[in-house]
Amino acid sequence: MANDTKKRFGFVIDISRCIDCRACLVACSVENTVPYTHTRIWVHDQGVKGDWPLFNRTFVPYNCMHCDNPPCTEVCVSGATYKNKENGLVLVDQDACIGCGFCVEACPYDVRYIDEQRGVVDKCNGCFQRVETGQMPACVATCVGGSRLFGDFNDPESTVSKALKNAKSVLRLDAKRQDGKSTGPNIYYTNASVEMVSLLTSDKFNQMEGKVPEASEYTVSEELWKKLIIPVLGLGIAGSFGLQAFYFTKQLIEGEKDVEE
Amino acid sequence: MTKLFSRRDFLKLGGSAAAAVTVGGFIPPLVAKAAVKAGLIDPDGDGYIPTMCEMCVWRCGVLAKVKDGRVVKLEGNPDHPNSTGKLCARGQSGLMNTYDPDRVLTPLIRVGKRGEGKFRKASWDEALDLTASKMLDIKQKYGPEAMMFSSTHNISQPVFENILYGFGSPNYGTQRSLCFNAMIVANIMTYGMEEPARDYNNIKYLILTGRNLTEAISTSETSALMEIISKGAKVIYIDPRYTKTASKSTEWLPIKPGTDSAFHLALINVLIQENLYNKSFVDSYTSGFEKLGTSVQDYTPAWAEKITGISADTITRIAREFAAAGSNALAHNGWRTSNFINSFQTERAITILNSLVGNWGSTLHPAAGEGAGGLGSIPQPAFPRITAPRLDGVPWKFPFVPLKLGIFQEMRDGALKGDPYEAHGWLISRQNPVQDLPDRAKTLELFGKLDFIANIDIIMNDTSWFSDVVLPEASYLERYDPLNPVGDKAFLRQPVIEPQGEGKSALWIFRELGKRLGIGDYFQYQDEQDYINQQLKPMGLTLDDIATHGYAQFPAGEKKTEFDWATPSEKIEIFSTTLEKGGFDPIPTWQEPAQPGEDQFYLLTGKVGQHTQFGTHNNKLLHKYEDTPRIWMHPDAAAKRSIKDWDLVEVTSEVGKINLAVMVTPTIRPDCVYMTPGYGHLSKGLRTAYGEGASDSVLHVTYTDPVSGGQALSQTFVTVKKA
Repeated sequence: MANDTKKRFGFVIDISRCIDCRACLVACSVENTVPYTHTRIWVHDQGVKGDWPLFNRTFVPYNCMHCDNPPCTEVCVSGATYKNKENGLVLVDQDACIGCGFCVEACPYDVRYIDEQRGVVDKCNGCFQRVETGQMPACVATCVGGSRLFGDFNDPESTVSKALKNAKSVLRLDAKRQDGKSTGPNIYYTNASVEMVSLLTSDKFNQMEGKVPEASEYTVSEELWKKLIIPVLGLGIAGSFGLQAFYFTKQLIEGEKDVEE
Repeated sequence: MTKLFSRRDFLKLGGSAAAAVTVGGFIPPLVAKAAVKAGLIDPDGDGYIPTMCEMCVWRCGVLAKVKDGRVVKLEGNPDHPNSTGKLCARGQSGLMNTYDPDRVLTPLIRVGKRGEGKFRKASWDEALDLTASKMLDIKQKYGPEAMMFSSTHNISQPVFENILYGFGSPNYGTQRSLCFNAMIVANIMTYGMEEPARDYNNIKYLILTGRNLTEAISTSETSALMEIISKGAKVIYIDPRYTKTASKSTEWLPIKPGTDSAFHLALINVLIQENLYNKSFVDSYTSGFEKLGTSVQDYTPAWAEKITGISADTITRIAREFAAAGSNALAHNGWRTSNFINSFQTERAITILNSLVGNWGSTLHPAAGEGAGGLGSIPQPAFPRITAPRLDGVPWKFPFVPLKLGIFQEMRDGALKGDPYEAHGWLISRQNPVQDLPDRAKTLELFGKLDFIANIDIIMNDTSWFSDVVLPEASYLERYDPLNPVGDKAFLRQPVIEPQGEGKSALWIFRELGKRLGIGDYFQYQDEQDYINQQLKPMGLTLDDIATHGYAQFPAGEKKTEFDWATPSEKIEIFSTTLEKGGFDPIPTWQEPAQPGEDQFYLLTGKVGQHTQFGTHNNKLLHKYEDTPRIWMHPDAAAKRSIKDWDLVEVTSEVGKINLAVMVTPTIRPDCVYMTPGYGHLSKGLRTAYGEGASDSVLHVTYTDPVSGGQALSQTFVTVKKA
């Protein structure tokens, strides 16, 4: 079901060009009226590596990966979290959201939060409100370093498809779902070094259980496959008791229908 | 279960959540009328209005999104060369500068003791009458020179200058000597222009001497740097700190502070010794080259290695690479070059290095400057003749400091010492001397001595807090300013919302104060729109014609192909006869800077990408995404003092003491500590910024470069111990 949406919107982020200026963070907060206590997007500082004076330091921007196979939609008991069939963005219908937080737990990337004021879950919506009027997401439009791109991966002529074609290396932070499927994240990191994998071993992502590095089974094309460098740490979330409880609850509510649509 | 969000749902969402970030009123008729007339917003008050950013001095073009009469989002204007469609974090946060809950929205008159923070609201008439009468009292008793004036780099600055020159005072303090005097004076001496333009399209080899472009952001230039890096340009970055720019550069050279000029002199030495310079360019366009060889012959890479800590091999290699890149090389002149007394020598060496590879016409170009171009000027009488010497010693002590630049810190010291006379009043506009001058205790001492202080600002900053009258300006999203020429266009700052409270534009405030000072003739415009229309008149345009796009296009002029250096020799002056006449080194020489004593550190300061100088720390959006201000210290230096990460330490210089948390990091030389400027505010009227971090100005010792007047900000040495 990787490609079953008409468009497949996502991000290409050139790691070599992120300067951690945080224009994207502020732009996102303003565009989406994110409370001061929360954020929808992050820039992960990999820290200073190497020995004086040959240091290196990498900044990895991230946000909702708008997965092909999002674990969050699977556990949503109210149906508020869904993958938009038109464009592939993973969205939250905040009128329907009951703020239970199952999706927050289920997301292997930890990019969702509960807005306590409104009692709903919030996260990056790919600036759907801008995208549908032809604008770029706020973070992309203002990216000073030219690191962030956004577009339709199903369109070979889109800037993101072209950027992937021209990239020296491409990396995705794939994760394994309980059912064994890859999440299929739609943030593609270009010019990323192998060290980037440490993003997944950082404190933040250590919270996830059963992470086992393994090769990706996902490719955009044969050509691209060759470029993928150590692309995947499968964040297997199988065996998570919490998650089993979500599925159980979900089945109680929805009956035993096939949730894979 | 999948369903599409309707557009209405999103609007509803936006509306209900808006309170999280924005507050403000509905669009009052004036702006709405103008914007509707220009076709910018619909009858519901929604749309985009082009204007200009003022979160720093780079002046990016902005498209302000207005909804239900509130500004809800700012976008970079793709038509503006300084923003190229993007805004940095500060630009993006600009609406919280306007909607800051701590804005001053009515004129205020002090009622408590100075610095106690007790004010009462006043009408504009009362506040302006009081300000004018106090200023005229001082003029009558002590002469006009007893009034000091301060402003900063902004579009209405020339109009502010009408107040002081019309009033008859020579005493004008701006941020310039705290920032770029060394660079500007060196460029004037060598090229006869303040600062050449850089063309990144042609750069393949770049030396950045402390120009931390990814943190001290100038949007278009920072974007251009990242573009050339991604295309493979080689970037050599020289800084005692491993900054974010260092992490993006090809090579980081952790140079010893104060020795930049030794590094550059050694590069020049190699270029000459190895005959790597562009002979035809040097012969055609420079003067004094023959004297350069002998001057720099002792400045070998081996000599520089001992001074800078950068190996002779590295220096030699970089000199060869730089020369090989030729016209595609650039040694960046930096911006805030107020580091050491010898920074002027560094800047001179950089100008000469560029000239030796002949990169003019390629990576360097004559700058258009900030001239008004084809714009009309507003009529005004000649200024009265000012006979009093300046408090800052320009030019009687400092002959080469341009009057326009002045020496802020010397003005403060002159006034404090009464040398050559005492000052009695200070009118300040958008300047923050309490925070930005070195040695804050001295500045506060002067504040305590003055008879009268008035501050024009949008916020209760530290200078407002210690003032007698605070005059509330409208924010940059609420007012018109004079047009700003950039390249072949003149850009417009226009209000996107009506001023909140009783905020007024600088143009209005200066004119109203001018009238009351009896110098109304210097402000011959009916209102802000009239000022702009007078500027546009020679082009046959009116404000209405340019409101939609936010700029006026100048008629295509002839492109200059000849170089035009406004120096005495009309060439690039490697040997400056002007400097020689003044008794200064006519060719850059090594001047050994002061060094820290046993157990002391160099105190380094420098910008971060989320703040501008001293003025943005109360902005809640920037506060949200800033790093906690800490003092950087190398692990070896920390271990020696049993200091651990996050420990609170006491930092002491010759003039002050602060407490601050430590960041133990290998990214700084062991002989340096670094702190981000702009914290440690004293004003309790800044509820977000108050109490956060500490002020570097408390520690900075005042040192002035005798040639350029630049303050030597890195020449302050500190001891650090656990608090």
